[in-house]
Amino acid sequence: MEHRNSHPREMRRSERVWAYAALLVMLVLVLAAPLGLAMAQEAPAGAAVEYRDVPGIGSRNLIWIVAQQHLLLAGFVLGVPIFAWVCEIVGVRTKDPRYDKLAKEFTKLLTSAYATTALFGGILLFLLIGLYPKLMNYLTDVFFPSFLVYSALFLLETATLYLYWYGWDAMQGRKKGMHLFLGFLLNVFALFIMIVPNSWATFQTSPVVITESSMWAKAWAATWNPTWWPLNVHRLIANVVLGGFLCGAYAGLKYLMTTSQEERVHYDWMGYVGNFIGVFGMLPLPFAGYWLMREVYQYNQQMGITLMGGFLSWLFILQAMLIGILFLGANYYFWLGIMYRIPGSEPKYRRPILIMLVILLVCLGIWMTPHSLVASLEEARKMGGTHHPLLGVFGVMSAKMTVANLMILVTFMSFIMYWRAGKQETAAWAKAAKAVMGVILGLAAIVIVVLGVWGYFVPAITRIDKFSTTQVLIVLFVLLTVTPLTGLLMKSAKTTTEMVWGVMPARAGYALVLNAVMVILLMTLMGYARSSSRVHWHIYGVMQDTSPYAYSPALGYAAAFMSLNTFLFCLMVAFIFWVASLGGEKKPQQKETRVPVVGAGPVPVVRQ
Amino acid sequence: MPEEKSLLRLVVTKGILGAVIAVVVFVAAKLMHFPPVFQIMFMLYVLLGTIVYILLDAPALPSFTGAKAIAALVAFYALVSGAFIAGANVLPQYDPSVEKGKIDKIVKPKLAMTEKGKVDELLKRSEELNARSQAIMKRLETIGGAEVKSIAASTGSTGGAAAAKSAGGGGDLIALGKDQYELQECYNCHKIGGKGSVKKRGPILDNIGNLMKPEELKEKLLNPRAWMAEGFDKEYAKKLMPDKYKELMADQEVDALIAYLSSLKDTSVETPKPIKK
Repeated sequence: MEHRNSHPREMRRSERVWAYAALLVMLVLVLAAPLGLAMAQEAPAGAAVEYRDVPGIGSRNLIWIVAQQHLLLAGFVLGVPIFAWVCEIVGVRTKDPRYDKLAKEFTKLLTSAYATTALFGGILLFLLIGLYPKLMNYLTDVFFPSFLVYSALFLLETATLYLYWYGWDAMQGRKKGMHLFLGFLLNVFALFIMIVPNSWATFQTSPVVITESSMWAKAWAATWNPTWWPLNVHRLIANVVLGGFLCGAYAGLKYLMTTSQEERVHYDWMGYVGNFIGVFGMLPLPFAGYWLMREVYQYNQQMGITLMGGFLSWLFILQAMLIGILFLGANYYFWLGIMYRIPGSEPKYRRPILIMLVILLVCLGIWMTPHSLVASLEEARKMGGTHHPLLGVFGVMSAKMTVANLMILVTFMSFIMYWRAGKQETAAWAKAAKAVMGVILGLAAIVIVVLGVWGYFVPAITRIDKFSTTQVLIVLFVLLTVTPLTGLLMKSAKTTTEMVWGVMPARAGYALVLNAVMVILLMTLMGYARSSSRVHWHIYGVMQDTSPYAYSPALGYAAAFMSLNTFLFCLMVAFIFWVASLGGEKKPQQKETRVPVVGAGPVPVVRQ
Repeated sequence: MPEEKSLLRLVVTKGILGAVIAVVVFVAAKLMHFPPVFQIMFMLYVLLGTIVYILLDAPALPSFTGAKAIAALVAFYALVSGAFIAGANVLPQYDPSVEKGKIDKIVKPKLAMTEKGKVDELLKRSEELNARSQAIMKRLETIGGAEVKSIAASTGSTGGAAAAKSAGGGGDLIALGKDQYELQECYNCHKIGGKGSVKKRGPILDNIGNLMKPEELKEKLLNPRAWMAEGFDKEYAKKLMPDKYKELMADQEVDALIAYLSSLKDTSVETPKPIKK
């Protein structure tokens, strides 16, 4: 393990470089927009303007960037309060002050992230009004009452956030209940702040017939459209996942950059909690996505076909790749935890880890198999058609749902393994409980596979409505039975090896960063899918897009844009983290030799 | 904490094992006639697994500070996003110009048919007339009355030519129907002449003209539940044809599409038999 000593200023300098880089990029972005707009073509005076363009970058691309940044920031701002509030409750219940500290640290991030999110929301609104006036006029006509509701919710959310953050220290002890209630309110308002604009976006995808009625009735009818609730649920879960993995990445970065052992211990633990919340949020996410897609199909088959069978279908292979890497990254982090945090447990778990790795890779391979192949004539002849006997089987939804469920089970197993490592069960019923858990897990895996295979021989409607739902319920059943059972077992278990925090290798930090990047890329990819599924419609079947950018960009081009958006968002988050760190409490002077290194292993603190 | 091994030793021991498995997988895939892209993909999965397994035991990374640390993280991101962009580019690419062409064919005529389209057209024409009358007035003022007759004649002749042009539409109905087949993206589910969906979502249509009468085809198009193809009737709830064409297509477009489908009479291609529901 390599590390070298240097001056404390070194670390601050690296933080400053980060911040300046982020600030510079944001400044360029903010300045570029008005400069571009100044060059935009103007319509003749008096004529109704339907679109305005921005030379160079193009109006669509500019909106794409700003909307994506706003959406990702919003996901973070809405996901983190859930995360913080849950941590605070856990802190109160367990009386472990680390959880309260963690919750407070993330709420501190919220204050600066909240302002940046609102800023991007404002920029997005101005750009939409300026560049897409026809669409905005229509949406305003339909949704004006919900604009008012949205503004009111913003006021309430802001006030609650201020009270929640600034009242943290004042509302300790007997007033903690009041603080928790504020956290609850914060999340309720945040939920509504998310679902109101979701109605605008989903109305564009699945508009309903709006009869001439009162302003409020019209807005309500448009809000309650077929994909509104599926998207609400999907985004709510996705925000928790994003919040969890971003917090994990924050902890990972801090862990990599700090040289104080005390901080390493704290950020190692924080990274674990972030990854844990991200993973647990991720488990039900595929089901929410499945529900959304099902609603899309039911609303309009053509749109469903465009997504799953038409020109957008290949992006789901890309989605499989990202989800597969995310599952691998999350499991890898758990495995590293077993090997490094619980000394001596590595030999015991080496074989199960290898087995789980193989299962994950096989599942990834199946998930990434397309239903149809671009095969040459010769290849097709060899295979006896364009459907290879095996590939054709793996390419359909039945196989994909099965492997998604198996990957979730494997990830859950990794967590349980991590939980049990270094402990010896002492309860008299431990043996029976372990046998029951083994049977539950084994049976669940078998039934999931059987249902997946059976799914080929029943009508699709049976598979979708019954088999897939049963597979999901089985996984939930496993989660809801094995978790409390393990919890009970661990309560009376004897600790054979104490868990050591702050000794994880640097690659654990990189794994946390990788997980966050994967989640952000996934969100940008699915945003592209949802938006492109409308093809040349602003509002599907109601208002056509007659701008020069009505077409959908190709996948390769879009991927480059997604990558750029992810990079910009990471820069912004780095800036927010840095801003938040400026407001931190000043630490007492430590007489320690700090070693400012990134990528180093555990660093012993040398006291002088 | 596990015993730290040298990276070289890890790569040699686990890497060799991974390489052996990769070769076995590659050969097995080849023997089972998997397409080359999958033979490579299977090898890549093994490679990925080997890397993850090596990384579990890998020694600590070298230390970076300041700008180097930032460069390391940016390089890490560049690697990840590079793989992502490369993956997206390797997949079959959708050509946006195809959609642009469709938009021109679908959106513009429909826009012209709407009230707004008509208003736009009238506005455009009135602007043209206005510009022309101003030009005439200008010329009248400068040249004098002798020119009026010729200007009036030229204006009249231009209008006549335009009218003649607009009247001269028509064209081959089957060709128009083929156009509709493309525009409505029927190829997403069906196949004609070996081109189109390979997902078996809908039946092959090469010989549909011999199997269904035009009025039956029209009934199927406007009411998809009325007819099902043999082999597609069991899972019809999922594979049901979209029922939007009644609203989406104009009568002339439906007629053109039916004319095209009725012309498909290639008996050499096995086409599923239609079943009346």
